[in-house]
Amino acid sequence: MSFLRIHAQPSRAAYFVLSWFLFAVGVISYFYVAIERHRENPDDRVMPTVSQMVQSFRDAASKPAEEDDAASSSMLWKDSIATGRRFLISVALLVPAVLLGLHMAMFPYVGALFLRFFQFFDKIVALSLLPIIFIAFGIDELSKIMLIVIGVAPTIVLDTFNLSKSVPRETIVKAFTLGAGDVGIAYRVVFKQILPRVLNSIRLNLKAVMLFLFAGEMIASTDGLAYRIALLRRHMGMDTIIPYVLWVALLLFLVDWGMNLLNRTLHPWFQEK
Amino acid sequence: MNIRIHNVSVEYSRPILDNIDLEIEAGEFVSIVGQTGCGKSTLLRLILGEEQPTSGQVIVGGKPRRQPDPTCGYVPQKYSLFPDRTVLGNVMFGLKGGRGCRDKAMHFLRRTGLQDSDAGKYPHQLSGGMQQRVAIAQALVLNPPVLLMDEAFSALDPGTRKGMQGLMRDLWRESGTTIVFVTHNTREAVCLGTRVIALAKDSSERGSSIALDISAPHLDFDSDEAELRSVICEVESATTNSQLTQHVFL
Repeated sequence: MSFLRIHAQPSRAAYFVLSWFLFAVGVISYFYVAIERHRENPDDRVMPTVSQMVQSFRDAASKPAEEDDAASSSMLWKDSIATGRRFLISVALLVPAVLLGLHMAMFPYVGALFLRFFQFFDKIVALSLLPIIFIAFGIDELSKIMLIVIGVAPTIVLDTFNLSKSVPRETIVKAFTLGAGDVGIAYRVVFKQILPRVLNSIRLNLKAVMLFLFAGEMIASTDGLAYRIALLRRHMGMDTIIPYVLWVALLLFLVDWGMNLLNRTLHPWFQEK
Repeated sequence: MNIRIHNVSVEYSRPILDNIDLEIEAGEFVSIVGQTGCGKSTLLRLILGEEQPTSGQVIVGGKPRRQPDPTCGYVPQKYSLFPDRTVLGNVMFGLKGGRGCRDKAMHFLRRTGLQDSDAGKYPHQLSGGMQQRVAIAQALVLNPPVLLMDEAFSALDPGTRKGMQGLMRDLWRESGTTIVFVTHNTREAVCLGTRVIALAKDSSERGSSIALDISAPHLDFDSDEAELRSVICEVESATTNSQLTQHVFL
């Protein structure tokens, strides 16, 4: 049983086969069951076959949505743009959160003003604020963006705060002895040093951003990927829902991969510890 | 630049330093020794301006210390370098720019024993000894009147350490800067410094005070071993003169 040991060294082939094994099992068993169900009931809507999903995805990509006139050419495109726009605005609004966290860590008076408040704010379950947000901001775009910002910003603020605090005191003192000023140290020394970790922190929180975005879109929206998924649930449109779920996963994967690539290119000195 | 420490006491939850009175003249190379937790690093941080005394005054070049500034160069044991800058970028950090800036930085890198090919490397690509060489170059390139070193060579292996000690002595002779060098290694303190100050605690209720202050400008690493030993013994007995220093306070 040497393969169950901590010191076991799987061969390249074994690693390749094992790492794809569960994907293969999932895909094969899905289609096996789907084909069986379709043999019994050709109109089965719960488990669409590959050809049905490909067809639906093609339709989604090339035809406008039912509720639309022919002005927009592609339902998938329109939904992706709507969701992508909200996503980008939300991520852009995290930039002030990063700067706030940095200033809280660097300047004790700023920290005194904000730290306790954000520690409290961070514990509020953002989704429980959803009704309040809808009442306060209405059910249009603003409320959806606010939900994401309220949900994710405190985490980013506190994380940036901790990352800034973890920069060794020696480094900061050294910068002072080399003639740097307060603002210079905050931005030229500390911020530059934590930036790759901040980007990694934002990458980890992309999942949370998407979660809040989808919650907002499913509850109150007239477009977007999550709106479509929620809408198609009423029609049992599994042949479109499944490709949409995979499409969202692919988009998120690409964003994460792109940010990682950017991080490594911009910060060749960065060492994961 | 001279350093005046008048009746300085430092107290946190327990007393650290008790009534330290010390005058360091310009151009001295002062070693401060003492056991772990005796407050020698605290004394260094007072001169640096990173900490303020509970009572008393720390005056460098006629001015009381408020916060760290370019008056005092600083070489800590680690975390001295900016990891996001190359070796050259680290040394050039304090320079205001302009012509000759790069040449000056390169000169100091060569002087501290680095190759031209190291200039483009990042700190994590260098060994611990090389990193400390860069840290020294980074501090000295600004020609600070006072240079403070906190266990600067303590993390290095003996061979590297010896080379660095020789280098430090040469750099001190060239620059004429006042150096305060904190270490827990008595031999290093005696051989490097022209003056050795030992800190020790008399009782647990009080902080450390100066137990010994000797001048040893004639001693270096090539000195007669017997003579060196006797001075080292003297200093070591001063740092352990009370039973209380035997156990570590937590």
